[in-house]
Amino acid sequence: MSTEDQKNLGLKNEDQQEPVISRRYFLAGTACLSVATAVSLSPLLNAEEVPSGDDFIQKHYKELSDEEKKEIFARLEARIDKQYGVSTSISDPQPMDGVEFAYVLNLGRCIGCRKCVYACMKENNQSRSPQKQYIRVLKMKKGTINLETSSHDYPEKEASSEDFFYMPVSCQQCREPKCIEVCPVKATWKEKDGIVVVDYNWCIGCRYCEAACPYHARRFNFAKPQLPAEELNPDMGYLSNRPRYMGVMEKCTFCLHKTRRGEYPACMEVCPTGARKFGNIRDPESEVRKIIEQERVFVLKQEVGTLPKFYYTFAK
Amino acid sequence: MGNKEKKSHFDKGELWKKIILPGTVILILLFLFWGDNKPAIPDPVALNAEWYTPETARGEILVNTVLPGNCFICHSVQVPDPNVIRPQFAHPTVKLDHGVNDRCYNCHHVYDRDSLAGDGEGRINFATPEKLCARCHGIIVRDWKAGTHGLRQGGWLVEDGADPVNFTCTECHDPHSPKFKYKIAAPAPTWPDKTLRKTRHSDDDPQSAYLTETIQERF
Repeated sequence: MSTEDQKNLGLKNEDQQEPVISRRYFLAGTACLSVATAVSLSPLLNAEEVPSGDDFIQKHYKELSDEEKKEIFARLEARIDKQYGVSTSISDPQPMDGVEFAYVLNLGRCIGCRKCVYACMKENNQSRSPQKQYIRVLKMKKGTINLETSSHDYPEKEASSEDFFYMPVSCQQCREPKCIEVCPVKATWKEKDGIVVVDYNWCIGCRYCEAACPYHARRFNFAKPQLPAEELNPDMGYLSNRPRYMGVMEKCTFCLHKTRRGEYPACMEVCPTGARKFGNIRDPESEVRKIIEQERVFVLKQEVGTLPKFYYTFAK
Repeated sequence: MGNKEKKSHFDKGELWKKIILPGTVILILLFLFWGDNKPAIPDPVALNAEWYTPETARGEILVNTVLPGNCFICHSVQVPDPNVIRPQFAHPTVKLDHGVNDRCYNCHHVYDRDSLAGDGEGRINFATPEKLCARCHGIIVRDWKAGTHGLRQGGWLVEDGADPVNFTCTECHDPHSPKFKYKIAAPAPTWPDKTLRKTRHSDDDPQSAYLTETIQERF
């Protein structure tokens, strides 16, 4: 290696007394570099959601003991209180024995007023900006059930039209949910009463489940969910309507914080025409069971084999 | 120590002074002021309470409000005509639009203003309109009694004390014009276009060619 090469490579030449980089330039360069690094990393300081150490070591929901749940819920409540200034209570109602929830929607009654959509947003603390909605009301021409040509963004003045019918589509709570099969971390699973839930603290946000769902029932939080503090619903369930994080998946849970206490889900109570029916499909006296036994019901996309528990009917 | 050494040292100094230092300063400024390229997310707007408040489809649109006062002031002097179709001047808001059922006294009792017409000379209290409706709409009333027709509130678990709230026929349907004329509708979602199934406004729209084709094939 010649001296010239060594110089070019910045190696120290034995003959050379002066250093290649003088102390002054070394210090200036180091200062510049450290400032540049600090500045380029500075966005992390005001990152919207930085998980705490407890969040990092939190276990999967199914592995939590009751004491751990209590701690976690207290931590989440404190965080919500800090963020929104609203004191909330996070509950964790368990599935009841002998109960399997089902939904029946009478398309002959639905007028497409979209009140269910917004009642769901209100009940489930969904992000107002960017807007997240679990229910999509599809407007379709009468005479065909063609999802390809349905429209989802019809203006409100086109509701209750004679020439169209309206098909609200939300999570179908399948008996064979494809979304839970693809989850690489088992952050979503089917509960004993048939409700498919997501542990928002375990979800890694890979969106496989969104791609696997044939009904486009899952929503991803690309941005931090925002909602006004005065609209926060303080009655929260850990697996249902507590505020979500950025970068996690969310979905309809049949309002499990309500329905597991025996109440109706929000979308059903708000429906002005009574098109929606909800109940325990294993109870022969329940409304849904009677409709399924007596009327002609169908499920959406039967051919994909998901066996939904959300039935549609055109009953009178 | 020759000219070469000096030149190379000079070069290095020039490099630091003229390129690396200003470059770093520019990069720092870029990070500080241009780095925040996140798309602006509008502030959350509160929902209109109208969009999520539960109410029946009849809602506030009670067009055929009951007139105040004593009905017999008029109806005692007039001999009732069982074939009356148009309500008299005293009932300007009543517009009967109930299909073939177009006679006032099909439902209202001919001689008793405070009752509805039951079978024969029978009378039905206004509090139990389903008995009157059952005379024609028996199947619907049967479904309603079973809980499968109409709006219910409260809870599905009856034994838990949360009794379901049932609504009678006239709480949702206007008896003079039973078809729903519910006016409150909530706006369309404001999602990004790629996640939204857009409306194809007309059949002439080339995008809706598929729609027209399939419809023509089928019918």
